Amino acid sequence: MSPDGTDEKHTAGTDPSETTDGSGPPETTDVVETRGTETNTADTAADTAPDPETTVWRGPAAWIVPALAAILGLVALWGAVTIEAPPNATSPGPGAFPGAVGALLLIIAVCMSVVNLRNQGSGKGSSPFAWFESRPVLLVLVGLVAHTALLEFVGWLLAGALLFWVVAYAFGARAYLRDAIVALSMSAAVQVGFSLGLGLNLPGGFLELVL
Amino acid sequence: MDTLINLMDGLASALTPQNLMWAFLGVLLGTAVGVLPGMGSAMAVALLLPVTFRFDPTSAFILFAGVYYGGMFGGATTSILLNTPGQASSIATTYEGHKMALNGRAAQALGTAVIGSFVASVIGTLVVALFAPVMVAFALNFGPGEYFALTVFSFVAVAAVVSGSVLRGVTSLLIGLAIGLVGIDAQSGAARFDFGSSSLMDGIDIVIVTVGLLALGEVLYIAARGKSAPNFAAIRTGRPWLGRKDLRRSWKPWLRGTALGSAFGPIPGSGAEIPTFLSLGLERRLAARRARRTGEEDEFGQGAIEGVAGPESANNSSAAGTMVPLLGLGLPTSATAAIMLAAFQQYGLQPGPVLFERNAELVWTLLASLLIGSVLLLVINLPFAPLWARLLKLPKPYLYAGITLFSVLAVYAINTSVTHLVMLLAVAVLGLVMRTFGVPVAPALIGVVLGPIAETEFRRALAASSGDPSILVGSGISIGLYALVLLAAALPLIAFLRRRRADARAVDVKEPVERP
Repeated sequence: MSPDGTDEKHTAGTDPSETTDGSGPPETTDVVETRGTETNTADTAADTAPDPETTVWRGPAAWIVPALAAILGLVALWGAVTIEAPPNATSPGPGAFPGAVGALLLIIAVCMSVVNLRNQGSGKGSSPFAWFESRPVLLVLVGLVAHTALLEFVGWLLAGALLFWVVAYAFGARAYLRDAIVALSMSAAVQVGFSLGLGLNLPGGFLELVL
Repeated sequence: MDTLINLMDGLASALTPQNLMWAFLGVLLGTAVGVLPGMGSAMAVALLLPVTFRFDPTSAFILFAGVYYGGMFGGATTSILLNTPGQASSIATTYEGHKMALNGRAAQALGTAVIGSFVASVIGTLVVALFAPVMVAFALNFGPGEYFALTVFSFVAVAAVVSGSVLRGVTSLLIGLAIGLVGIDAQSGAARFDFGSSSLMDGIDIVIVTVGLLALGEVLYIAARGKSAPNFAAIRTGRPWLGRKDLRRSWKPWLRGTALGSAFGPIPGSGAEIPTFLSLGLERRLAARRARRTGEEDEFGQGAIEGVAGPESANNSSAAGTMVPLLGLGLPTSATAAIMLAAFQQYGLQPGPVLFERNAELVWTLLASLLIGSVLLLVINLPFAPLWARLLKLPKPYLYAGITLFSVLAVYAINTSVTHLVMLLAVAVLGLVMRTFGVPVAPALIGVVLGPIAETEFRRALAASSGDPSILVGSGISIGLYALVLLAAALPLIAFLRRRRADARAVDVKEPVERP
């Protein structure tokens, strides 16, 4: 299981309303007992998404992580070969470690592909696309991109408020005006707190020129 | 004796109003993130890291340590009241704790959790104060070869133990190592993987990696889960309270849990889950034995107070236990410890023997403020646990919007650079992919922090021996560590083979025809 901070585990189906409706043990019990058995399929978890850490990947999505590992491995190997070591460098030069990491990444990618191919045959596992909701994710990402692009032009106050509002919207907040007020006050509080408390200057943007 | 005198000196310098304020702020924040599911102390420390650059190191570490301890206290509250563990370390508490709450004994469950956490923190911190110097004396014999063996050991232990699947654990670790490669090579000065960008030449800042993987990655992941994400419902609470009978039943599990946590905290990869589940299992077995011998009722399964007292003290003493290798060797054994190590590095401090020699005052003040933090935590948790549970009534959209805002702020504050925000976006998407496919993120964090250390020690060892690789296994310490590596690697393999044999047998019985 993961140490603190990486709490995927119990975000999986710990909806209290479900555990108290009198049917069966709480979801968390489920999670711990099936851990490591690698056969926890989606249909046992009803409408909640399965715990990703123990699910077997399936379908085209199963190739994303192996592909990622392979690409990273190739980049690392390419770097290991092309890094120009300064003439005075000692024997295991700057390329040695990237080479090792790259090779290991490629080996891992191959291992995961083999596992995938075998699972494809056995018919167990599930695709994350079954529960993945891309709309809110895209909204949050759009908010982040907009914030990054606008930050130095419109200033922290507005860019931050916009980010807050968009993320709140993505998570289902629909009281637009109230959300906007909360967003603006959060953003303003951060800006004031930071410049007064820590002497950190967040960009003022065009408001700085106006005021 | 020296230890006690040092600790008293530390206590004296920790008791300044300013340090007290940081400790208080830390435990407050730690309890809050411990209560909230999906947030952990590692995420909180990562978000605080850039903000604290401007502090002196002592204040910053007092703050971090308060967050770390506070997270362990706060996690219990929601586990008991809502069956929703705020952190992985409190999963074990849910089994008996929530049943106690359902039986109307929430007050006693909270009471034994808070007091048990307090007992464990105090004892655990004293153990650290006693053992960290011993660790340091041991570490004085370490050369680059031994340090390299140590990092290899923690890589293998973390990748093999932390995750449900070894393959995914190793993948995560390697991704972390790959991220750690970016930037100027410290040994030769060669630029690596900078792709022509001057920002990448400085490497990918650890704050970007931790905030991206832990905070923003989590926000994106929860957005992706949509309706299947946790929903915080109505809360039944009670003020923590322990009667004499409960106290009598609690104190032994407290001490046993503390012992388990202290023993497992310093071991890389064991985290807080292993000792908490061991403690739960131990208490369950002891209760069954008591029931057989004395006829005393075995309440396990219906809300046994021992099943809360044990795991809750175990997770706190394991948090203390991780401080031993962190301060003594510079070896992080959990995600939070990895970020704290990164914080030490940002201040130009190197944990280990040198830290105890040159910054002894910081170390002892830090340890003393851990004691103070424990007292503060008792004060803010014992009467106010129900109040903390109300944090869950925060509207979820605002909660995650707030986390997003602070993530962006934390990264922008490093160097007021928009390029860093672009990197953050990339790392956050990586975090989302890893979470979606169940690749644990903790090994990646350890890889990012320890990877460069491993490389440096490896190359320094070979440079010292002018290229002779036998220096890597040149001492009993390194040979012993490699033996442990083999053991750590073999254990999951053996478990896997046994499971497969069992599976195969099950399949044979059920559908003998389909077997190839």
